[in-house]
Amino acid sequence: MKSIFAAYHPAVNFTFFCAVIIGSMFFMHPVLLCISWSAAFLYSIYLNGRKALRFNIVFVLPTMIIISLINPLFNHRGMTILGYIRDNPITLESIYYGICTGLMFGAIILWFSCYNAIMTSDKIICLFGRIVPAMSLIFSMVLRFVPKFKTQIITISNAQKCIGRDVSNGSYKERIRHGIKILSIMVSWALENAIETADSMKSRGYGLKGRTSFSIFRFYARDKGLLMIMTVFITVISIGAAAGVTNIQYFPSIKIGEITGFGIFVYTAYFLLCFIPVILDVMEEIKWHYFRSGI
Amino acid sequence: MALFSIRDLTFTYPLKDIPAIKGVNLTVEYGEFITVCGKTGCGKSTLLRNLKTALTPHGAVTGEIYFDGRLLSEIDLREQTQRIGYVLQNPENQIVTDKVWHELAFGLESLGYDTQSIRLRVAEMASFFGIQDWFMKDVSELSGGQKQLLNLAAVMAMQPDLLILDEPSSQLDPIAASNFLETVKKINSEIGTTIIITEHRLEEVLPMSDRAVVLDSGRVILDSAPKNVGEELLKLNHDMFLAMPGPMQIYAGLIKAQKEMGIDINPNADQNVDPNIDPIIDPNKAAGMSCPITVREGRKWLTEVFHAREIRCRDLDIAKKTENETIIELRNVWFKYSRNHSDAIKGLSLNISAGQMHCIVGGNGTGKTTALALIGGIHKPYRGKVKLMGRELSKYTKEELYNGIFGILPQNPQSLFVEKTVGLDLFEVLEKKTLSIEEKEAKVKAAAKLMEIDDLLKMHPYDLSGGEQQRAALGKVLLLKPKIILLDEPTKGLDNHFKIKLAGILNKLLENGITVVMVSHDIEFCAKYGDQCSMFFDGNIITTNTPNRFFSGNSFYTTAANRMSRHKFSNAVTAKDVIDICIQNLKTQES
Repeated sequence: MKSIFAAYHPAVNFTFFCAVIIGSMFFMHPVLLCISWSAAFLYSIYLNGRKALRFNIVFVLPTMIIISLINPLFNHRGMTILGYIRDNPITLESIYYGICTGLMFGAIILWFSCYNAIMTSDKIICLFGRIVPAMSLIFSMVLRFVPKFKTQIITISNAQKCIGRDVSNGSYKERIRHGIKILSIMVSWALENAIETADSMKSRGYGLKGRTSFSIFRFYARDKGLLMIMTVFITVISIGAAAGVTNIQYFPSIKIGEITGFGIFVYTAYFLLCFIPVILDVMEEIKWHYFRSGI
Repeated sequence: MALFSIRDLTFTYPLKDIPAIKGVNLTVEYGEFITVCGKTGCGKSTLLRNLKTALTPHGAVTGEIYFDGRLLSEIDLREQTQRIGYVLQNPENQIVTDKVWHELAFGLESLGYDTQSIRLRVAEMASFFGIQDWFMKDVSELSGGQKQLLNLAAVMAMQPDLLILDEPSSQLDPIAASNFLETVKKINSEIGTTIIITEHRLEEVLPMSDRAVVLDSGRVILDSAPKNVGEELLKLNHDMFLAMPGPMQIYAGLIKAQKEMGIDINPNADQNVDPNIDPIIDPNKAAGMSCPITVREGRKWLTEVFHAREIRCRDLDIAKKTENETIIELRNVWFKYSRNHSDAIKGLSLNISAGQMHCIVGGNGTGKTTALALIGGIHKPYRGKVKLMGRELSKYTKEELYNGIFGILPQNPQSLFVEKTVGLDLFEVLEKKTLSIEEKEAKVKAAAKLMEIDDLLKMHPYDLSGGEQQRAALGKVLLLKPKIILLDEPTKGLDNHFKIKLAGILNKLLENGITVVMVSHDIEFCAKYGDQCSMFFDGNIITTNTPNRFFSGNSFYTTAANRMSRHKFSNAVTAKDVIDICIQNLKTQES
């Protein structure tokens, strides 16, 4: 599924992911963790569909469960002792703490899977090209050469197969020798052909002073709007964090601030921030639904 | 004032005694379209590379090059980058970045343009070259033709005054190549950019060019309009003529016959010829027609020649080769690359006779190369049978197949070379065999001699030219003593001289009883040298016949000589055929 959020400027995408990933790492408050986790979970499924669902069930949930189980076994702090395993106390606090750590890990893994789907290579190049133009070109060239070398290695190994040099059969020693031979051809081929690439770069002025970095992405009014909305949310959450409404103490006993009106306000801001991509997509769906029924 | 004026340019590579180009004088006017031709190694590329300082190789230079009235060496690199565009041979290697749009912007980034102006230029280029459909794609998804078009557009984005192209279409298939050259022509005629191009495929470039410059061992031997160049080469009896388009060769053949056999090819046989013109000294004027370049002109010329003459013989008698027993048989073969792919080969049946050269022609992506891989046992069909000498292919072991039966030459010969010199590379093939060193040496020498690479044995394989690399690779394959040789596009990027050499070698192999199966886009080559031709389309063979019947049965997918002569003769497909049948007819006129 193509998410509308992916069409925003890379700077907007990057700010969003920085905010939610940092938020998930620092706020151990269960409410905030649940918000972040569920937003990431929903959005990852929206982005990658069935594949994401499988990944989440097979990999993310077990990781979370294992982390939640391991913590109480090794962490014996806390006041409320529930029982003993081999003379080691199991405490209620460490169980809670384990579950929250599991949620945190889960949320971060999920956010990164969304990040991978949204932040394509050209977006990263666009962002960092501004700062270090040379780096962005190297990055782009690497991305160009990896598939090129891959196809070349297949070509070479097929050609070697035709003169009876196959890596897939023969004795162990022979196979290794054939593999090394293929690599050696690959290296000389790459060096030889790089000369022409270098010529092509030189001929198009590479090495002249004052190189700029072009990016295809434009900063539209809607990017500005979304960035401003996100800034407002982040400010509210930061003020909340400074005021302590996001704090929680696990050890030696769980201490959580009372739920105040301001607290709920901050939670709402965090909720809206985390759900921005999902909200955008839902709005888009509704809009198109009405467009279609209008026709 | 001329755009470029080259005075007495001589260039010598380091450690070489003989200069690569000698005393070249050349003037290039604004807006001209110039074709530089010559055999491989005649110094074409060296000359072109001297026209841009960033690409000039190391070596000793004498003489002067003026660009727009100023010495080239005094023009700074920034201005040169912008004003002189350069497109190289290999489409793949010139691309630097991973996205089409980024590649288009590369030159402008180097020149330090701001984002707004780059956006405008890139958009302009994408629209002019019709790139907008694949503008956002990764370059690895593009076809060869698209890649070369991208390289051209990336250079044109800098809006150069002069565009230099060094064999830009030699790695492309014919359709992509003519598409590319059309675009070059469009740039020349619609934008007025000056073009200097070198090419093997002169059929398409010559009619476009204003001037042709012929180089021979580093010297300019001719510099004139394409028509005159043809006639001058004919007078000089120069072997560059073999690279000229088919119609020109036929014309030359007949003029020669006129001189040698005294046959009259004067088109106006019934009219009185000006007695002041000696037809032997000045045959063109006597014939009243100049040298034809395109098929259209050739056709017109042939019509004139036979205007007042009766054609008594329309068919050429072609000696039939004796039918041999079938060595490879494909019966109802189906193949696809994976379950979810569509079929690449659909119910293919094919018989290949022993000791013959079987050519498979057809467009891109029709499954030709896949069929070759099926024959060679690299892929296995999921339905149908491949039989080799009466036995099923799957019953052979890999050792048997690739060490004594098949010799497969890959499209890129570079993927076979492993050693520092050609000689060592040939030895390397024999390393597993239990032979004495003397026996091995004798074998290597014999192979090198057969391939005509004896004097190249000490060179590094990568330093050879395309044709030499190919022969070295073929030598390597032949040391395994194959019975069947499979070739994939063997004529790609070769000039006509190397093609003739390759044909000679293939003929020697055929005489030794080796079967040759080849896949090619090069219909002229297949028509000249093949024994059987098959047309591949949509995963299957549409028709198989001798080249003669095969090409005379087609009306578009056929040789230039056939297209030029089909209104007069029924089955002349090569230049030689047309010359022979014309002579036959002209002779009967006189008797």
